[in-house]
This record gives sequence, C-alpha cells and structure tokens, in this order.
Amino acid sequence: MPKKLTFTRRSEDEDIKAAGLFLDFDEMAKKGAMQADDSSIAKWYGIYKSRQPGNHMARIVIPGGVITSAQAKNIAGIAEKYGQGIVNVTTRQALQFHWLKVGNLADMLRELGEYGNSTKHGCGDVTRNVTACPLAETCAYRRLDARAAAVEMAEFLGMCRDLDDLPRKFKINFSGCGADCAQPHINCVGLSGVIHNGVPGYKVVIGGGMGWKPFVAESLFGFVPHNKVKQVCRAVAILFREHGDRFNRAKSRLKFVVHRKGIDFCRTEVISNLHTENVSSDDIIVEPVTDEGVPFSLRPLLDDSPQGTDGQHTVRVIVPKGELSFSTFYRMAELSERYANQRVYTSNRQNLQFQGVAPSDVKALESEIRALGYQTSGSFTLSDIVSCVGTTYCPKAVTQTRALFDIVQRVVGEPRYESIAQSGVINITGCPNSCSPYRIADIGFRGMRIREESGSVEGYEVLLGGSQTAFGQKLGEFKLSDCEEMLRLVLNAFVAVRISDEFLTDCVNRVGLGYFEKAVYGEI
Amino acid sequence: MRFEYQKAQKPKENSVQTGVGTSPLDLKTIGKAIPCQEACPAKTNVPGYIEHIARGEHDAAYRINLEDNVFPGVLGRICTRVCEDECRHNWTNVEGPVQICHLKRYAADHIANTQTPLAPHFGPSGKKVTIVGAGPAGLTAARELNRLGHQVTVLEKEPLPGGMLVDGIPAFRLPRDIVAAEIALIQDGGVTIQTGCAVGASEMSILIEENDAVIVATGTTLSNQTTIDGVGDDETQRFTGLDFMKRYNRGELPALSGNVVVVGGGFTAVDCARAARRLVSADSAVSIVYRRTEASMAADKNEFKAMREEDVAVRTLLSPKRWKTDGSRGILVCERNVVKAGDTRRKPAIETLNESEVEIPCDVLILAIGQRSDPRILPNGIELDGIRTSKENLFATGDFEGTSADVITAVASGKKTAQVVDTHLMGQTRYVEGVRVETTDCDGETGRFRDHDIQWALPMPMLDVVGRFENQAEVETGFTPEIAQVAATRCYLCQYKFEIDQDLCIHCDWCIQAAPRECIKKAAQIYCDDDGFPTKVFEAELSKDTTFIYIDNQDCIRCGKCLRVCPTQAISMKRLSRIGCVKLDS
Ligand code: SF4
Ligand code: SF4
Ligand code: SF4
Repeated sequence: MPKKLTFTRRSEDEDIKAAGLFLDFDEMAKKGAMQADDSSIAKWYGIYKSRQPGNHMARIVIPGGVITSAQAKNIAGIAEKYGQGIVNVTTRQALQFHWLKVGNLADMLRELGEYGNSTKHGCGDVTRNVTACPLAETCAYRRLDARAAAVEMAEFLGMCRDLDDLPRKFKINFSGCGADCAQPHINCVGLSGVIHNGVPGYKVVIGGGMGWKPFVAESLFGFVPHNKVKQVCRAVAILFREHGDRFNRAKSRLKFVVHRKGIDFCRTEVISNLHTENVSSDDIIVEPVTDEGVPFSLRPLLDDSPQGTDGQHTVRVIVPKGELSFSTFYRMAELSERYANQRVYTSNRQNLQFQGVAPSDVKALESEIRALGYQTSGSFTLSDIVSCVGTTYCPKAVTQTRALFDIVQRVVGEPRYESIAQSGVINITGCPNSCSPYRIADIGFRGMRIREESGSVEGYEVLLGGSQTAFGQKLGEFKLSDCEEMLRLVLNAFVAVRISDEFLTDCVNRVGLGYFEKAVYGEI
Repeated sequence: MRFEYQKAQKPKENSVQTGVGTSPLDLKTIGKAIPCQEACPAKTNVPGYIEHIARGEHDAAYRINLEDNVFPGVLGRICTRVCEDECRHNWTNVEGPVQICHLKRYAADHIANTQTPLAPHFGPSGKKVTIVGAGPAGLTAARELNRLGHQVTVLEKEPLPGGMLVDGIPAFRLPRDIVAAEIALIQDGGVTIQTGCAVGASEMSILIEENDAVIVATGTTLSNQTTIDGVGDDETQRFTGLDFMKRYNRGELPALSGNVVVVGGGFTAVDCARAARRLVSADSAVSIVYRRTEASMAADKNEFKAMREEDVAVRTLLSPKRWKTDGSRGILVCERNVVKAGDTRRKPAIETLNESEVEIPCDVLILAIGQRSDPRILPNGIELDGIRTSKENLFATGDFEGTSADVITAVASGKKTAQVVDTHLMGQTRYVEGVRVETTDCDGETGRFRDHDIQWALPMPMLDVVGRFENQAEVETGFTPEIAQVAATRCYLCQYKFEIDQDLCIHCDWCIQAAPRECIKKAAQIYCDDDGFPTKVFEAELSKDTTFIYIDNQDCIRCGKCLRVCPTQAISMKRLSRIGCVKLDS
C-alpha cells in the first residue's frame, strides 16, 4: 500500500495511532486474525501479542488493586474458559490471562464487562493501572486512604478523552505515607501521603522509571492538598502529552521529558496547565514540607497478617511467580466471602491479600490458604521473589526467568539462610524493560544471553544493594548454570558480616560492593 | 578467578574507535558502508556532500566535491555516474538510485561566486614538474602536485586548456564558462598553464632534462579507423568523431546537408549525433548506428530521452558494410548482428547475420568508433609502464597511460599519478588514504526518516525542444531547489554506520524485531579475511547457536531504529569519512 508522505517526525506507531484508536473485535473474530496495525491498537484494549504466535495476553485493569469477590469469580471463570485456566498477578496489581485466541477476544471482553471487569487501557499509550500501597486504608502509618484515591484517580483520568493518545504509557501510584511502599520513585507520577497544617495531601514526584535507562523520580511539589491531586496529575499528563518524544519510543516516557527539560521547566508547565483549566495553585507548595503524621518504618510491614487500624487483619497469600490456577483463584474469592470483606486484593509483589479479617478468623483463613498450597508469611522477604513471566509468555524476554526463580527459591529456603530471611527482596526480570524492577531490589537479576566461543547461553546481570532511590550496583554477569553458586557466595558473605537485623542493601552500602566481589570471584 | 568466561572474539570493523585509521580494514569497511563512494573512481564523498545539500549548505557541498573530484561543475554534468549504479537506494520499491550527479551540479550551480583554491597539504618542496596536456588528468595531477608543494607548469598545444572538456564535449552539455572557472581555480592555486605549446619527442627530451619530473597527459588523440567500401575522402562528407567534435566546438563546421549517420556507441557518438542535429535541417535524418544493443551504449537515460526529443534515431545491432549512392542521395548499407546466445556481459559478443542487409540514408558519415593515444611523443627508447615509464622521472597519466575512458577515471588517474610522482620527488611516501571515524550522539537520527526514503525521483528539467538548438544553449537546466531537496533527502546517508558492541549486547533480538529489513542477523560465526574484514556471516537459527547479533551494513538503510530500541545501548552510530591525504610522520 502506498504510504502517505507527511514528513512529520514521528514513529510508525504514531502513524498507526493517527489512523484511529478503534478496533472491532467481533469483526476480527470473523476474520480469525489480527493485523499488524491492529495489534498496536489492541493494546488500548489491554490486549498484547504473546511470544507464541497466534496467542494473546489480556490485562485486567484493577485500580488500587482491589476487586469484589464476584469480579474475582468472573475472572476465574474467564481464565478457565479462554485462558488455559491460568491467572497471573502483575507487579502493577493487574491480573493477566495468557493463551487467548483472536476468535475469543470479543466474547471475553463482553463477559468480563458483565461484572465490571475491564481490560481497557491495560496497555497502550495511556494512563495505566493506578496502583496503591499494600495495606493502604488499614495501615497504621497512613496519612490518607491511598487505595480510594487510586480508584478515584483511575476513574477521573480514564474519562479524559484528551489523554487517550499520550506519547507512551503513563504510570501513577499512591502510597499512604512516606514509607513509599507503592514505589513512587520508579513511576511517572508517585504520590506519597503527608499531613501539612492538619490537611492531608501528597508529596508529588515525577519522572521515575525503570527500563533500559532508569531514573529516580524528582520532586515536583512538596505538598498538594488531597482534593487537588487529580487535577495535578491531569496537568502532569498534559505536560507529558505536549512534550513527550513521539519519534523515538525508547525515549518517550515522562522520565525523559523531566531529564531533558529539567524539573523546573516541568513544574512551570504543570502550574500553567492548572491555571489554563482554572485550578488555582495557591495551596500547592513546591518545597518539601514537614510531615505531621505518625512516624513510619522505612521498609514495608513484615509482620504476618498485620492488624489494621480498624482492628481487622490483613492476611497475605504469597503467590510464587504470581501465577494461580483458575480454581485456586475462584477459591480465593470464596475465602474472601467467608472470612474477609468480600474483596480480593492484589499487591505489587505479585501476591494476593485479604482485608477485613476478624482477629478470630485469622488462624482459620491462614490454614485454608496453606491447605491450598500457599504461604501466608514471608511477604517482602527473600523468599517473596518477584519474577516477570520471562520467555514463558513474553515476546520481549530473553531468559526463562522461572527457571532461575526455582533455583533462587530453593537456595534462600535453605535452613542456613533462615536468619537472613527478612533481610531484603529479590527481583528477577527477563529483559531490561524491568517488569520486575530488578534495580531496586536487594538482589536484582536481569536476563541476558552470554556469548560463548560458539553460540550463547542464558545468563543474568546481577545487581546488589538496590533501593527505590539508589539503584543496585553491578556485581557481574553470570551464566544461569552459575547463578546458584554465585547466590550462595553472596548470601554467605552477607551472613558473615551482617550486623543485627541489617538489610542486605544497607550492608552493601556499609561494606562496599568490593567485599562481595571478592567473595564471589575469589581472590584475584 | 571464578566465573570468568571464554568468549568468541568480536569482529572489528575499524582499526580505531574514533580518530583516523589507515589500515586496509578501515578502507574495506568504508568501501562496504558507502557503495557509491567506493564505485567512484575518484572516491568522491557522495553522502558527505549530499548531507550538506539537504541542509542547504551549497558551498560546503561544493568544497567536498572540489577536494575529491576536482571539477564538480563539470562532472556534475557529464560524469558517467558509476556511483549511481551502485547506490544503496536502489531497491525495487524506492524508485531507483539517488541522483548523485545532478545533485553535484546543483551544489556547483548555487555556490557563492568567489571560491578560493584548496589549501596546500605541504609547504614548497623546490621541485619542478612539467605536465604535457591540460586535459582533466593533466590538470588534476597539476593541482594535486601543486598542493603537495611542487612547482607545476602545464603545457597545452591547443589554444584553450581543458582537453576533451572543450574539444570533445559540446557546450550544450557543458557550458564553457563552467570549465573555465574550475580551471581558473587550479591556476589560482599556483599552477602555470601555457597554451599553444605543442610538445614532440625532441622537446620532451629537453623537458625530461630540465624538470624533476615530467608527466605525459596527452590523452587519446588518434581516432580508430575502419574501411567501409565506397566511402571516399570527401572532407565534407566523412569525419572521425574526434575531429567532428573539435571542429563543431570551435564553430568551424558549416551547416551540413543531407542525412547524417554516426557509427559508434560511446559518448562521442552520441555527442556527434546531437551536434549534427544542430547543423542539419529539420527534414534531414540523423542516426546512430551501433553494432550492439542500447544496453551497451554509454549514453544514460537522460541522453536517450534528449535524443528521442531531438529526433536522433538510434539503430542498433547493425554494422556498416558499404556506402553507395542512389541518385543524389547516399545510402549506408549495414548488416544485422545478433547478440551471441548466453552472453550476458555489458558488452556481449555479437555475430553478423549473412544476407541481412539494411539500408540507411546517409550523406554524411561520422565514425566515432574509439580513439587511442599517440605514442610518438615519447623519445626513442622510452617504454610506457602504467603510470611509470622506463625513464625514472617521466610519468604518464589519464587516457595516455590507460585506455580511453571517462573524465572521472582521468581525474582518478591524475590523483594517483600525483602521489606516485610525489613519492619519486621526495624519496618517500608522505601520505596515504585513511578513514576518519567519529562517534555520534543523536540517537541514531541522521536527520531523515522513513518518509524520505520513499519519495519519487524527480526528472532533470530540460529545455523545450523548440528553441533548444539556439546558441548551443545548455539542454539540462539543473534542479530547482525543490527538486534538489527531494533528491538530497532520498539519500540514506551511508556514511553513518551502525554497529553492535558485542560485549554489551544481550541477544534480546529487539533490534531484529524493529528493523525494517533483514539488516541485522543472528550469526553463528563471522569469518574475516587477513585484514580482519568480515567476509562471511554464517547465520544461526536458534538463540543457543547465536554467537553474535550482527549488523550487515550492506543491508542497512540507516533508519536508526535498532539503535533506538536497543535496551543496553549496545548499538552505536559512527560517522565515516574518507580522507585522501593522511600525512605520515617521516
Ligand atoms: S544512498 Fe546515498 S550514500 Fe548511500 S549509496 Fe546511495 S547516494 Fe551513496
Ligand atoms: S539502522 Fe539498524 S534497523 Fe535501521 S536499517 Fe540499519 S541496521 Fe537495520
Ligand atoms: S537490541 Fe541491542 S542488546 Fe538486543 S540484540 Fe540488538 S544489539 Fe543486542
């Protein structure tokens, strides 16, 4: 087909977008195939091509990471019917189906919709799933209800038709306090609850992100009153829409706008965007403010089944690899109806949780969960490994992350490492896109292939000592077959020098990477 | 040390990461990267100047050409364009090659009026060189030797310098002021040209005595002959191509009467035919008779178009046999040829068919069937040996040392001769060719994008046929700025070279998925020649067999997509430029 010459400096994806963001999945089902251009647009409907040709993935958007038990049952049913019985939990609190066939997509979307489940804007150049910190509304440290705010934000921005075609994806998350459990620093917009002069509101950072070029988010505002945060996020989205690179998709994200233009420029733009929409910025404070809330711990709550401020408990389900069968997922919905608040929650460590569990029901629920084969303790510990799906489904992945997951899980589960079980987290990602944010984990693995004399083998770049605000340092590149030995050497070295209940990252910062290098490579 | 892995050695494409490399590897790599420049006998930096034209920087574009091919305004009109045959922009769906030559002319037509000579490479050497013949090769050698610090005099027997540029090529293809300006620039640099100065073998002996070096650049002055029965000696009816053009160009030919036939398929034949058309009346036929097919003729698309418009018939697969008269009109009787079956060369063998005569009206016959050099200028006992001769300080250049070729080949020969002579004069090689390698920092953006690749090639504007024959007006009028912009932005800018740092690459294949063509390969092994130049890539199917992800510059259209998707910044974009004179430290 002859191409229309426009000489506009934009990517081919932009050309496709310009042709219209509309897809008719029923027609597609009749034709039995998705055209190349269609598959770009399908992302707006939350549908992605899988690594296996002819198969698709659908991502259900779950603002704040909460769904009703009825929605959960619906999802389980759809997984059984169309998705080979598998449900995946993502690090951004969404749920995914794999193995979907083009012919079923239309029906699947309809059937999901009957229970208010939606895949709309699951992918694509739009505001993605708005996430919240895990304990949110029940957390003792919270300044405000991050989950409710996330849900409201998703609704508000989802209705802004003028934000349907951003240069690239746009990610927002909410943390109830400065412990930042929702990881604001690696998102486009990160909001953390603060109380200033008695008014609850948010500290706003923008321009963070993982991927091939990571950035730590920078402070946009020290304080935005809670009732203005939607407009502020919209103003940031408009800044992004107007200044994001539409030619080079690898450099489109908001983090590059902030990096290129500088935070001061961005702030001025955001304020002027607010003014254009008649929102006053008078009560927005640029400088950091003193937070008046109760003091919080810097790592997420590690307690098993913590009790919330409402007197009820949160019971967690550690979901290895973030993957469950449809029947287990269905059972989880039932459990939420029997023991909890009839809701199922997703967390950014690919886990599930129940809230509103009466103190008297905690034991019973925990044992029900264990009976299903899942742990209820160990959230945010070494054994709570987060791994992306890797080459199992993802067309972008380089390695089969799940093979490493099994190795790591076995090693950290060894009795000799019991004493350090709570000393950090391990993230495994199959490519530099970092769906599992490996740079901020205490130990991070990133898939790669390592060249040999002839051919190549799977391997990992390994980082140690990452945190949200300072990324891990590179220990080296290891063949998969060497990862087990390497990991033991790292953990042994850590055990040898650990002071009281130090986190691994703190230890790396204290003794230096060199110590670990020597331990791993041996004396040179 | 634990976890120390043995890895296959990574293929290298340049001897330096940045800076100037002079190894054979560097030259081979740039040769593959920029096919048009490699094809150009004078190694003109084509993408270098096209990039400037696209930006509207005509002077910079002109200076690059001036450096490389000495006569940009001239060659921008009459070059044989071997570069365009090799241009990468030649895939079936993108309308053929970049119009390299027309762009060269465009830049030359739009420069500021005052141009200064190119800067010298070396200071004065005190050596004296005389060059005999002020054609393109002689003048090139003169300019180069002058820049190398030698004192150069050029002797020309004709009243005007330029050789074939003024005596061979007609002004309607090459206006004389263009030639004069570019020769003047050589004189401005310090070269002395003496015209009307014929040199024979005896004068030559003296020159050899009086100079540190002498170069014969007298070209091909003798016409090839053939006997055709019935053709008499009547000087108004029978010409050689060389002679016809020389007299035409000097305005010495009267109007011709009757039908004209030019025999031959080279440049001269076409020039003769078109010149003859300008000397006969409209009802006279002008034909070219050529023994092979049009595909073997030197003329390009535009010239065929011009001939069609000017009503010059091209009759191919015919060989003249005899000339006869039929009453008052002459007739050339030809025999038909066929191309020898299975011969696919550009100039295939032909066979004559017996009993297959064809009659073509012919009152004036011009034989343009080639020319050769006149060896009588060499003093007794001196033998020619390529650029050198059996006399140590006597050299040859251009058509005189080779065979009759085109102007760009003559220029290339002049440059080569200058280097050989410089080495002789100085007793050492003072410079070599090299490649400048520069890193870029622009996300693989060359300033153009996919839309630019698929623009249509617009034709060279030409004068209307009506009125074209007045005053030797130049037929091709040159690109307008609008056409030039299109033409320049079609070029892929092949000087930009994408390469993968194998130590950073993680074999994610994203680049392969993003690539518009099969430009990036999974390689099991890459074999290199003795210079380290990758010559063969054995492709791998599976990831486990893939040792390297390798960009094959042959297939790269410089879109930069791979660089932009690579998650590890393993891909970089280098800028390569060839340098004619890299000084060697003594
Ligand atoms: S595209 Fe440009 S640089 Fe490449 S071969 Fe053609 S003219 Fe030369
Ligand atoms: S720049 Fe990269 S993707 Fe584009 S043609 Fe060249 S090798 Fe292929
Ligand atoms: S995109 Fe980069 S890392 Fe991936 S295969 Fe290509 S060169 Fe290697």
